[in-house]
Amino acid sequence: MNVLEKRPTDPLFWFSALSAGLTLLIGLGFYVYLFWASWPLWRDHSLSFFTSTDWFPGESYGALAMIYGSVMVSTLALVTALPFALAGAVTASEFLSPRLRLVFKAAMELMAGVPGIVYGLLGAALLALWVKDWFGLIDGNTLFTAGILLGVMILPTIMTLAEDAIHSVPREFRETAASLGLPPLQAFFRVVFPQALPGIVGAVLLGLGRALGETIAVMLVIGGLDMIPSPWFDWFAPGQSIPSKLGREAAEAIGSGMHWNALLGLGCALFSGSMLLTGFGSYLLRRRQR
Amino acid sequence: MAVWIFSKTQGAEHLNLRQFFSTALACLPMVFILNIAQAQETITISGSTTVAPIASRAAEAFLVNRPEIRILVNGGGSGVGINAVGSGLAQIGMASRMITPRELSRFERSQLKAHAVGRDGVACAISASIYNAGVRALTREQIAGIYLGKIKNWSALGGPDSAIVVIDKERHRGTRHVFMNYVFGDANARTPGARLVTGSNNEERAKIAQSDAAIGMLSLAWLNDAVKGVAIQEGDARIEPSVANVRSGAYPITRDLLFVTAGEPVGAVKEFMEFIYGPKGKEIVVDSGYIPIERP
Repeated sequence: MNVLEKRPTDPLFWFSALSAGLTLLIGLGFYVYLFWASWPLWRDHSLSFFTSTDWFPGESYGALAMIYGSVMVSTLALVTALPFALAGAVTASEFLSPRLRLVFKAAMELMAGVPGIVYGLLGAALLALWVKDWFGLIDGNTLFTAGILLGVMILPTIMTLAEDAIHSVPREFRETAASLGLPPLQAFFRVVFPQALPGIVGAVLLGLGRALGETIAVMLVIGGLDMIPSPWFDWFAPGQSIPSKLGREAAEAIGSGMHWNALLGLGCALFSGSMLLTGFGSYLLRRRQR
Repeated sequence: MAVWIFSKTQGAEHLNLRQFFSTALACLPMVFILNIAQAQETITISGSTTVAPIASRAAEAFLVNRPEIRILVNGGGSGVGINAVGSGLAQIGMASRMITPRELSRFERSQLKAHAVGRDGVACAISASIYNAGVRALTREQIAGIYLGKIKNWSALGGPDSAIVVIDKERHRGTRHVFMNYVFGDANARTPGARLVTGSNNEERAKIAQSDAAIGMLSLAWLNDAVKGVAIQEGDARIEPSVANVRSGAYPITRDLLFVTAGEPVGAVKEFMEFIYGPKGKEIVVDSGYIPIERP
């Protein structure tokens, strides 16, 4: 069977195929390199890397606190951002006039492009102090602060992409629903929303990806302690996420043996985590569509 | 190649614009190469944020007469500086602590050489509101108790009834090595009482200033109205963290500020080092808040 639908005589084919192949190769190469370069860690620590919370360069490398921090902060970010993002997307797509919608979209896209460090600065200068005062804490650099900051950060990304998905549902769907006598609310939830769902899930996954990988904004407000609070759901405690750990220690550890291997192992864990998420997301979608 | 593909597959009317962009894109790497070729010599300096003010001020003054040289100054911390010069990523590494035997053996081939350019003290720094409330001196045992999590409230130290926000630094930071060496006799001591971990002097100072109940460690030159250095109580003596006390050797937590090179410096790096040891360089060391050292 020929896997190519068109005959590969068009030079455009070769150019695009080359680019696609290169992208695939780089992605794969990254993963293979991460595993290969962190091999001494898996050999010496294997499972204890994922079960221990004690990270002390030169002695022990336990990643559980960082994994916990990443999961906690991204979950918080998603829970914070999702309701606002979806509500904003619905508003922009269904209720705003075309002109106002474009203005709104432009503003969202502008915000989505603001670099993490800018959010980090605002977080460290304002949000951390607000959190400290609002909740009467001794210090405002906590998992909660990082989660809220990330939520604000990924909000425009999710909103604008979800809006694209909702807006691209053809007008006929809405008109048919209306002509069948469905009230607008029902028409939206029974007709438009299911159609837009794959796009919305994609938007959420992209936002989550940004949250998982964000380094500097999180690093400035999370507290930087490798620990799991007790009780474990106490989000007003300081913590550490995988990227913030890498940001703090990578430059010093390059080529230093096990410390470096362990940091690469953290990178490996992060990479696998986000791949699992993406895979799970598309699996859910495929199951729905069947 | 890209231009050719577009011309084969697209109409001709947009060709000029496309051609222009493709050509511009193809030329971009060349622009960078030309740029690099133009600058005669680049000195990359990275490491301790305590030493960085000396390096950047000296670079500025040095380049007035040598505009053809480029000097890049980066932070990162002492560990990063030593690592960078050891692995050839920088010509000069800045460090606010001694090179450890482990680093010396790791970078044996680079023949690391330390050049002390100044002297500095590390203050035990606390939030101004605690200082003003009456906490003016701490003993070594008290500081250790705080960092071990045994002393949790300022009221136990003559201050107000307020939980202590204990601020630690990243483990590879020179300031931490020197401070922990004094407090625990171990540069890599564990600190279960810590609440926050910071990196550069700027970050540490900002976090202490933001809190009204914090304790941390900070180079003397970084103290200000919001961040005060407490005196160290040794027996009956109360030693203030001051430049005079560092100079006389009375203050117990001091360190040399180092420029680290791989082997003896040569060329532009050597010139730059000589400039720092010269009269203008000494002036810069003093202006940065440190005590200049004669060339050994």
